[in-house]
Amino acid sequence: MRTSKIGLIISREYSSRVKKRSFILLTILGPLLMVGFIFTALYLGQQDEDEVTILIHDDTFTITQFIKNNSNNLNKLVVYDTSGLKTYDDAMDDFKKSDRYDLLVYLPENIIETKNSTGIIQYKKPPTAKSLTFITNTINKAIEKSTLHFYNIPLEDYDRFKSDVQFRTIDIATSEENNNLAKSGVGLFFGVIIYLFIFMYGVQVMKAVIEEKTNRIVEVLVSSIKPFQLMMGKIIGIMLVGLTQFSIWVLLIAVSLTALSIIAFPDMLDAANQAELMQNNVGGEVAMENDFADLVFRQINWSLMIGLFIFYFIGGYLLYGSLMAAIGAAVDSETDTQQFMIPVSMPLFFAYIIAINITGNPNGSTAFWCSEIPFTSPIVMLVRVAIGGEGMIWQVLLSMSLLIVTFIFTTWIAAKIYRVGILMYGKKPSYKELLKWIRFKD
Amino acid sequence: MEKPILFEAKEVSKIYANHTALNSLSLKIPEKSIFGLLGPNGAGKTSFIRIINQITAPDTGELFLSGKKLNRNHIKDIGYLPEERGLYKKMKIGEQAVYLAQLKGMEKKQATGKLKDWFEKLDILNWWNNTIEDLSKGMAQKIQFITTVIHNPKLLILDEPFSGFDPINTNIIKNEILKLKENGTTIILSTHNMNSVEEICDNIALLNNANKILEGSVNQIKEDFSEKIWEITFKGNTVSFANSVWGGWELLGQKQMNESTIKATIKLTDKLLLNDFIRGILDNVEIIELNKVVPTMNDIFINVVNQSEKNKSNENE
Repeated sequence: MRTSKIGLIISREYSSRVKKRSFILLTILGPLLMVGFIFTALYLGQQDEDEVTILIHDDTFTITQFIKNNSNNLNKLVVYDTSGLKTYDDAMDDFKKSDRYDLLVYLPENIIETKNSTGIIQYKKPPTAKSLTFITNTINKAIEKSTLHFYNIPLEDYDRFKSDVQFRTIDIATSEENNNLAKSGVGLFFGVIIYLFIFMYGVQVMKAVIEEKTNRIVEVLVSSIKPFQLMMGKIIGIMLVGLTQFSIWVLLIAVSLTALSIIAFPDMLDAANQAELMQNNVGGEVAMENDFADLVFRQINWSLMIGLFIFYFIGGYLLYGSLMAAIGAAVDSETDTQQFMIPVSMPLFFAYIIAINITGNPNGSTAFWCSEIPFTSPIVMLVRVAIGGEGMIWQVLLSMSLLIVTFIFTTWIAAKIYRVGILMYGKKPSYKELLKWIRFKD
Repeated sequence: MEKPILFEAKEVSKIYANHTALNSLSLKIPEKSIFGLLGPNGAGKTSFIRIINQITAPDTGELFLSGKKLNRNHIKDIGYLPEERGLYKKMKIGEQAVYLAQLKGMEKKQATGKLKDWFEKLDILNWWNNTIEDLSKGMAQKIQFITTVIHNPKLLILDEPFSGFDPINTNIIKNEILKLKENGTTIILSTHNMNSVEEICDNIALLNNANKILEGSVNQIKEDFSEKIWEITFKGNTVSFANSVWGGWELLGQKQMNESTIKATIKLTDKLLLNDFIRGILDNVEIIELNKVVPTMNDIFINVVNQSEKNKSNENE
């Protein structure tokens, strides 16, 4: 069967790229690195921490009496012996000399009265977040107890006053627990990937156009095929390379994550187990460890995100890729692209910055507008959808329609510049000349 | 018998922004002939070639190939070797030759077979799986030539086909062009190489500043531009030579070849025939050699272009 001419262009662009060593390498190594990263994060979360010995110098002489040493905890507290009227400077000397201690905590004399004053921790090796939380909690509890003791209030009475109310936020539509922070993390992950894909493959279009122009094969090609077909063949061929790479990534990540979850974290896929864990640790620090696993294995709506990713990649890529094709046609060499690349890559980069900043307020007006404006929507909308919210369906549909209309428009403009540019050599055109090219008849 | 017309352009014009590239150009190219498209840089040759290749469209005017209005279906009937030509650097040359042939509408299998024949004929078959970076400039040029003719075009457009070739390869390509013509191909040759025009072109058109300033068969044009100038080598003395015929001619120059032999360049006016002149001198000197001084295409090119420039500047004044 005879392949259509545009089919020939697409297949050459496609096959010459997927056969490249760099493509194969990135396609296979990309997901492996990503899974490796996820695995490391999970592994480290489960890892036991090193034992930490903490020396406390207590100028109040009271707080340390109320510290209950928990033998289960890895953080071991040692109270500095001040019976010989040793000062904090002495404690500091001993801390420096001795290998036994990892941290030195200083509690100033006024810490009880002021209640919100600041203690000091000296370290040889920076304390982990856990050790810090442990120290803060233990010392605050001890101060509370010493205060109770001071006012002669029984501990049981105090416990009756104390409340520890936590809130869980649940979506009324799905009855699912909302975890904004984690979800925006997922959104950002997709945002980064789509940003990279659009940019990376857009630049490939530009390079391909410049290559054909500088090696002068383009005049032979356009004597066989219309410039528009040639440009579209290139854009589509390279787009298919991107989609191939993405599909392989999704497949490899899915397979290796599943394998990983079965082998290394069998209980994490167990929903009942997971729910129980969540309940037992409402707001507690232990839940943190499992958040990541929970996120990866349960909270991401993979099929929705992948579907949207594919749509917004195609839309964003066609928008930016066509403009980059026009840039490639306008210049003679890659070194000349700078002037035109800045206005094209700025909105894309801007979208990336916006995407990071809207995670705190994903339904605000900045988030809304940037997810509708086609130059930023492919990235911003992905982040917003990942976080979720009211009335997203019509917003997504509107954003998709705007994106389609816009990429048709940019492709049309690009084709006009392309057909003139590929046969023009010499001086780098100005924006005014580009406008003139757009108005040229065929 | 006159050959049928393969290609015709009727009043073709093309204007870019504020520059006229072609001004109402009309010409006819007979089948199985080589047509020289000549003119200084910027005369409009490339614009015209791009219009024939349908890379750009004319603003006004019509073009016909084999009697039919030029359309996209004609692409497979046209072969084009641009002046600035290149190939993909990283693609195997066999593969890209097949690719280019397919773009001209050939089947992959047929293209591969024919290409291998051509590669063999031009002695580059061993390089099929190499990339262009491994090739010398001449070999690359051969491949470009092959990809231009591989689909047996009716009309072949060659823009400076000999640039970059050494004399041996120039000859090989020249012979291939003549063979193609014999086998029925019509060829448009755009070149500044006037020697090759004289050697292989049947007809020419000379463009300058978007206008056609000269057209016709090479022989006819040379005939038209020869000004009845003759070189006569004789034995005898100049005085008796000069006095033999009264009026109707002028002596443009003379050169003493040796003691008794002189070569004189004369120009006859319209009234005097060469026969009459010879009859007049026969009794006075001994004629050794008689040559017609024919202008070269190079001379004609320069003369006509200069004349046209002069006319233009006169018009402007």
